[in-house]
Amino acid sequence: MSRVLLIITVALTILFLAIGTLSAGNSGPSNTPDGAVHAMMAQVQARNWNAAYSYVANTNATDLNSFISGLNGTNGDLRTFSNLASVRTRVLHASDNDALVHADMQWSTAVGAIYDSRDLQVVSQDGKWKVVWEVQKQPNVPPQVIPVTFLRWDVVTRGSGDDWGAQNVDAPHVRIVSMNAVDYEGGTVILGEIVNEDTVPGFVSVSATLVGKNGSTLGDESSFDKISHVLLPKEVSPFRIDFPKVPLREVKNVHIQPNSLLVPASADPTIGVLHQQLTQDSSGRRVLQGDLTNESGQTVNIPHVLATFYDNQGRVIWVSDGYVDHALLPQTPVPFSLALRDDIASRVQTYRVTVNQYSMNRQPS
Amino acid sequence: MVVLTISSRVTSGYLFSPEAHLYKLHCFSDRYAEGISRRGNQAGVFVTKYRKTRKPEQQDGESYLHRNDAHGGISVIAVAPGSPNRTLSVTFILLIALAVHGPLLLMQLPAGSYDAYVHMFFASHYAHHWFNPWNPKWFAGFSQTTYPPLAHQLIALSSYIMGLSLGYMFVQLIAVLLLAVGIYRYARLWVDETAASYAALGSVFLGSLAMLVYQSGQLNTTLGAAITINGIPYFYRWLREARFGDLLKSFLITVSAAAVHHLTLVTIVLFSFPVIWLALVDRNNEAEGGEASTVGILVRAIVFGIISIAGIAAVLLPFWISFFNNPVTQAPIPHPSRTNYLLNLHNGLNFWIIPYGALILAIPFIFLRGTRERRLQPLFLGWWITTLIGLGGTTPVPHWLFGRFYYVFTYERFTFLATCMALPFAGLLAQRLIARFNTKAVVALWIAAAATFAMGVAWLTFSPIAVTPFDTNPIASFLNRDDHSKFRYLTLGFGSLFDKVSIDTSADSVDGDYNTARLLPEMTAYGAAKLDSAKYYGVSGMESLRAMLKHASQYGLKYIFVRDRYYEPLLAFAGWRPAETYDGGIVTLWVKDDVPPAQPMDLGTKPAAWEGLLWGTAPIGVAFLALLAVLLIPERRPASVPIEFPSSADVVLREAK
Repeated sequence: MSRVLLIITVALTILFLAIGTLSAGNSGPSNTPDGAVHAMMAQVQARNWNAAYSYVANTNATDLNSFISGLNGTNGDLRTFSNLASVRTRVLHASDNDALVHADMQWSTAVGAIYDSRDLQVVSQDGKWKVVWEVQKQPNVPPQVIPVTFLRWDVVTRGSGDDWGAQNVDAPHVRIVSMNAVDYEGGTVILGEIVNEDTVPGFVSVSATLVGKNGSTLGDESSFDKISHVLLPKEVSPFRIDFPKVPLREVKNVHIQPNSLLVPASADPTIGVLHQQLTQDSSGRRVLQGDLTNESGQTVNIPHVLATFYDNQGRVIWVSDGYVDHALLPQTPVPFSLALRDDIASRVQTYRVTVNQYSMNRQPS
Repeated sequence: MVVLTISSRVTSGYLFSPEAHLYKLHCFSDRYAEGISRRGNQAGVFVTKYRKTRKPEQQDGESYLHRNDAHGGISVIAVAPGSPNRTLSVTFILLIALAVHGPLLLMQLPAGSYDAYVHMFFASHYAHHWFNPWNPKWFAGFSQTTYPPLAHQLIALSSYIMGLSLGYMFVQLIAVLLLAVGIYRYARLWVDETAASYAALGSVFLGSLAMLVYQSGQLNTTLGAAITINGIPYFYRWLREARFGDLLKSFLITVSAAAVHHLTLVTIVLFSFPVIWLALVDRNNEAEGGEASTVGILVRAIVFGIISIAGIAAVLLPFWISFFNNPVTQAPIPHPSRTNYLLNLHNGLNFWIIPYGALILAIPFIFLRGTRERRLQPLFLGWWITTLIGLGGTTPVPHWLFGRFYYVFTYERFTFLATCMALPFAGLLAQRLIARFNTKAVVALWIAAAATFAMGVAWLTFSPIAVTPFDTNPIASFLNRDDHSKFRYLTLGFGSLFDKVSIDTSADSVDGDYNTARLLPEMTAYGAAKLDSAKYYGVSGMESLRAMLKHASQYGLKYIFVRDRYYEPLLAFAGWRPAETYDGGIVTLWVKDDVPPAQPMDLGTKPAAWEGLLWGTAPIGVAFLALLAVLLIPERRPASVPIEFPSSADVVLREAK
């Protein structure tokens, strides 16, 4: 009996360990094209850069440092605040020697989840599938002097005992110049634009309350990050407020509350938007693409692009936004791409792009 | 003079070697020895009349003899001269525990652990509002009836004398001492006095205990387990002897244990079933306990189960009300103890190898001895199942056993319970090693124990989990002045020091450090534990933080203290702006100006006044009654007393009548 019990418990222990290990370690074989992509991305996820680099086919064109900085970020860009969360792959084409794999990557970043899609060429080398990994080459900007000519506003407070924002002065005059409520994926989205009509900069935010047909409050949300919070005099910012669980048909009234506050601000950094155009990406979706150029002399770590789309009557019909995962080095263009809803693409007459930014060493206080 | 009685049927039941003072017993299949002495070249062995007692498991060359006792355990009654095997007194073991843990606790080493400030936070609330379990400081308000209160109330009581932090350390010390006593009493059910004393001494040096006390700060787990284990021998005696005093004591102790931690219920089950089985194995052993029928034992087990469930239900009624009103429906929160330790070696080290320490070397012995001896088989199977659960995601067993609750539990505590169950085996192994290798074995065992404990404590250094300490007083000071507490606040990157800020300030936070109490949809919809450490939960954590920041105005969330610059981009884009810095720029205060003052929130979970009254009296009252019962209801003393071997006194052997 005792020997039987010993054998049973030892055997079961080994069996349980085997089941647990096999089920946990099941990441698919790496001897297939998409398996190779998954294997590489698993190493990227674990930040085992050397192991990930061992799956790169074009090592003559992509060195280890470029590979790491492309995935791990440089210059304090959004990628440096990111971790690869998940990867989904789809084989678009495969032969005995090469394949094209579409990879949808979800990154967990400091500003929330962002998504990155790539069509990766995978080739068979010595019986092993490897990924052709293209890295974006950063152009070397020649040394130059950039004159600092931007405007700047400072605020003198009474003393350090004052709360931040409690200057006891009138708030800058801001006004909502357009507003639209649209139905989107079963919820309600409030869109519009706000302008700072004052001669001093203002810190603005917009909140909205949806009122139902019986007078009850259906939701209370704010523009959050879908607005440029610091508006210079006469500057306009789009805003967008999402109510994902409130159908538009249930809404009777919308109460919009713009808030403003006098803050110190500067016009620096100036970010130019070039070559903007509506086009289609490789998967056939309508996107707004262009280049961002940092015209100042200091690095912008995380750019945030806000695009306002208007119909032929000049009404705001959609506001789209997206974070660019590469830093804006001075005088160096960086491409951006914003998705546009397919159902409104045909109604878009014009659009306007504004850029919000976060710079590590230049936070106003 | 020592008088021994010897059965007339025993005529050649022993073999005595006067030169080596060794003996071997080989004919006691239905007898057991209770005393042995020698006179000249003769030895006398007391043999009881009881049937079916176990045969003493003497091996050739072993230098000691066992007896069964009233507890069903086995004691060494004779030790050959020269063997270092000695039964250690409980007092000695407690002094060792005090010497080992006392200084570390007095240094307040657990204050840097993961959860210590959580428990101090709960205790702090009881210290100020004993009969009001509604605590507005976390999650915009939550009920402390979601967490059994006894440990926190004990800290609160201690804090009136020695302050909150030392109060915590004091209660933790009580837990460590109770655990040593409990392990001794529990081990006595399975092994003899000497092995049990070794097991109890081993409990002081458990790596798993060191991890829970000094790294995790799981006071409630250690205290709950210690109390439970102390109640188990009474439960066994109730099953065997049906004495009301034992039932009362085991009932009160069990309910007290449940009042410490809800997961103690699982502990009770894991420790009780092997003992029920043991009582069935021992049912015909009349040694000082009388015979017990199978039906009788099972009926008494059911009686105990019913009244214990009723007692726990009554004493923790507000907890159950809270539990059933707000069942755990939140998204699973990842925990490294649910990973596969074989595939993730760091987690394997952290949650299994370091906690087990040198006990890993005893595992082959546990398998061999635990499966071989009928009396040890229940303990072996209990240990085996608990060990499999403690392996977390390494095996599918915990998932099969707990179903959807698998994602609620963390599994380091089960490894702790498994190591407690392994200790009687470790005691036996130590006894055998010492018998065979004498002083060498003693030295090796001391080194193994000390190394296990040292690694458990030092693991904090090798694999730190807490943030580097920094001064949180300016933050609490800011929140406590100029009506800043009208608004709610959040910390990012503070780790366990968020709990300290919560204790020190009168302001409320939308965050909190106790997953079960979370009801805010911005938190329950995402698989992230704490906003303060959102980034460690990946997309879920950051989306949870985004959701909370979006609703800042609704919650009056104006102040965010940032110690990790990772979060700054989100705050900047969301409309917060830096206002002040603290501690040389380590912490930055971010403010959002258009946030209105916080309003009291009640998500329908505020306990009624009677619940507060019950919560403030019943758990602590039961614990007090349990203490009184243990102190005032006398224990039945063993009828036989071990005598030394070889005896220095003259021994008269006479035939039994």
